[in-house]
Amino acid sequence: MSATTTLADTGQVPRRLRTLVRRAERQHLTKMLALMAPSVVFVALLFVVPIALFLFRSVDNVEIPKYLPSTVAEIGQWHEGEMPPEGVYRALTEDLIALKGEPEAAVLGRRLNYSVPGFRGLVTRTVRQLPDTVPASARDLLAGIDERWLDPVYWATLKQQSGRITDFYLLSAMDLQRGTDGAITQVDETQAVFLSLYGRTLYTSVGVTVICLLIGYPVAAVMASAGPAAANWLLMLVLVPFWTSLLVRTTAWVVLLQTEGLVNKILIYLGIINEPLSLMFNTAGVFIAMVHVLLPYMILPLYSVMKGVSPVHLRAASSLGAPPVTVFRTVYLPLTIPGIAAGCTLVFVLSVGFYVTPALVGGPSDQMIGYFIAYFTNSAVNWGLASALGAFLILVIAAIYLVLGKVVGFDKLRVR
Amino acid sequence: MNKIGKGLAATVALILAIAVSRHASAESITVVNQGGSPGDAQKIAVFDPFTEETGIEILVDTYNQELAKIRAQVETGNLIWDVASVHSLNDAIGCDEGLLEPIDWAEHIDESKFEAVGGFTDCGAPYLVSPGALVYDADRWQGEMAPRSWADFWNVEKWPGKRALPFQPDQVLEIALMSDGVAPRDVPKVLAAPGGVDRAFAQLEKIKPYVLWWKSGDESMQLLLTNEVVMGYGWQGRVNVANRSSGRNLKIVWEAGYTSAVIYLAVMAGSPKLEQAIELVKYSLEAESQARYAEIMGYPPANVDSYAMLSDENRANQPTEYLDRGMMQTGSLYIGFWRDNGDSIRQRFSTFTAR
Repeated sequence: MSATTTLADTGQVPRRLRTLVRRAERQHLTKMLALMAPSVVFVALLFVVPIALFLFRSVDNVEIPKYLPSTVAEIGQWHEGEMPPEGVYRALTEDLIALKGEPEAAVLGRRLNYSVPGFRGLVTRTVRQLPDTVPASARDLLAGIDERWLDPVYWATLKQQSGRITDFYLLSAMDLQRGTDGAITQVDETQAVFLSLYGRTLYTSVGVTVICLLIGYPVAAVMASAGPAAANWLLMLVLVPFWTSLLVRTTAWVVLLQTEGLVNKILIYLGIINEPLSLMFNTAGVFIAMVHVLLPYMILPLYSVMKGVSPVHLRAASSLGAPPVTVFRTVYLPLTIPGIAAGCTLVFVLSVGFYVTPALVGGPSDQMIGYFIAYFTNSAVNWGLASALGAFLILVIAAIYLVLGKVVGFDKLRVR
Repeated sequence: MNKIGKGLAATVALILAIAVSRHASAESITVVNQGGSPGDAQKIAVFDPFTEETGIEILVDTYNQELAKIRAQVETGNLIWDVASVHSLNDAIGCDEGLLEPIDWAEHIDESKFEAVGGFTDCGAPYLVSPGALVYDADRWQGEMAPRSWADFWNVEKWPGKRALPFQPDQVLEIALMSDGVAPRDVPKVLAAPGGVDRAFAQLEKIKPYVLWWKSGDESMQLLLTNEVVMGYGWQGRVNVANRSSGRNLKIVWEAGYTSAVIYLAVMAGSPKLEQAIELVKYSLEAESQARYAEIMGYPPANVDSYAMLSDENRANQPTEYLDRGMMQTGSLYIGFWRDNGDSIRQRFSTFTAR
């Protein structure tokens, strides 16, 4: 009490003290930043930057402005409803002549073909047959090579896709397209594939997460309350499949689940069923295999949280007269919510990205969005669409996380 | 601390040793193929004898026809592979986009021996054909009940039950047209013509409820061997292996018409080992190498001279009498069609099968 009065009286000391404290804090902060710098740089360079660059591809439209510069400059003169003026034809001819014999012609063709199937063939054919100089009428020249150049749909696509940035990939990823008049419409019914894939991906992931929780929670609870020897054994049983390769486990399920597989044979032998069940190449197979693969990701976080729940709390509740159900509902469950949140987040996020397992044990109606992302990344090399599909997936996960956070509370969602 | 230091030193030494040894064998080229049993057969039939003859060591890597991996290497100028095994579509795209080296193969190889499989392309040399055809269990279906055509495959009254088809649009659309009476050689033309794709899908719609879609060669044979399907579409090499390993009598109906994937060897653009790479491709296409490979895998050889070198048993399994019933998945019309329409057909196929 007296110290406080002295300090207040002089007025000098607190200021100096404050400076000292501030300096100490600054030094502390600098040290912290220095210590964190390597990991921050590492994460930024190898995680944030590549993802950001790849996501940029979902709006990137580098090919058309780069390889057709004169056309992009001229095409503004053309208006819907009339034939493109000679200047536009001339500009395109000049651009295409410059691409003669260059691999870039194929790259440009690939990009244009995303918008209109067949555009690639048109460009390739035209580039191959073009003379080295532009004659008096570029329009007659192009129309002579292929009369599709008189079809406004190709010109409308060029005009629409002439900017450096495009919404084409993002729209495609939502089964939408921009018509020649600029209006956004649904794509043809036979081509609309992605929205239903997103739906199925979410439905499967939520289902797998719920089943994993229902199976994993009691297992983790038993493990946490068992003696050290038994707990070690149980932990081994959980970890051995965890360490086994995903492909091996998935193939093992194929052997077990097929019509003449072990599961069906045993069930028929025991007289439980007469006809073999179809457990594979359908949704049941996908759920069985995915739950098995992901179960450890649910059990381990639950176990580590349950291990920290002191039995004293439970005993206290019991001694106050609470029946077992009330003890569980009011004491044990709330204490293990961080484990549930962590386990569910892990399992959900991992299952959203699954596509190998659904592809192997599922039917054609069990494919997930990851299949197409992998296809467009690796085989079709349509990175714009792959990136757009991935961007929406990230958005969906983020939205679910936010909603969950609002409902359950963010502090409880924190993965420990 | 000392222990860690020693460990580190040992690791560094090991890495250096590996790096040095890789450089030491300057006479080596890296080939990428699909691996698996075709890859093993290629090593025994082609790579090992080639190394013995020339002293050039062959390092093998595997990939799943991901064009992106070839593109990444060429675009960054960081070549890991020298020679790539590419299917006809990737051969065409890679060649056009400058990822594969254009080579005048006529200078090195007698091209006339490869006309039956569609010949050479600007970048690729055809070294492997993989036919897929109608397959049934000859012990189960005999005499009148043995299927003879793709129309039989579509006949669910005479043969009730499931049929196995690959979960890949190209082969499925092609045999759908064959079942509708299109001659195998005309399939690319009909498919590429207006309405061709719709016609194939309409034909598929008829048997869709009876189809089990398989996603791997193993699965296609499992379905037949376990009688889950009454008949199926399967690849020749897989049928031979399945018959051999399980002592069964699966039979290929060549006369129904079949599709044949053509696989090419091509040199990566800018490979510093162009000369050795061409030597390897030449060796791979020689009649003897082709015959050795065909003998192990059971695929027909790409080199027509190799047929005479096959064992009688192997020749009996080849479509020798039905070469005109095969549809080669190559040629500019075919490749052009799939390059222009491949993605949209794949999406349509995906929605079609899921519904």
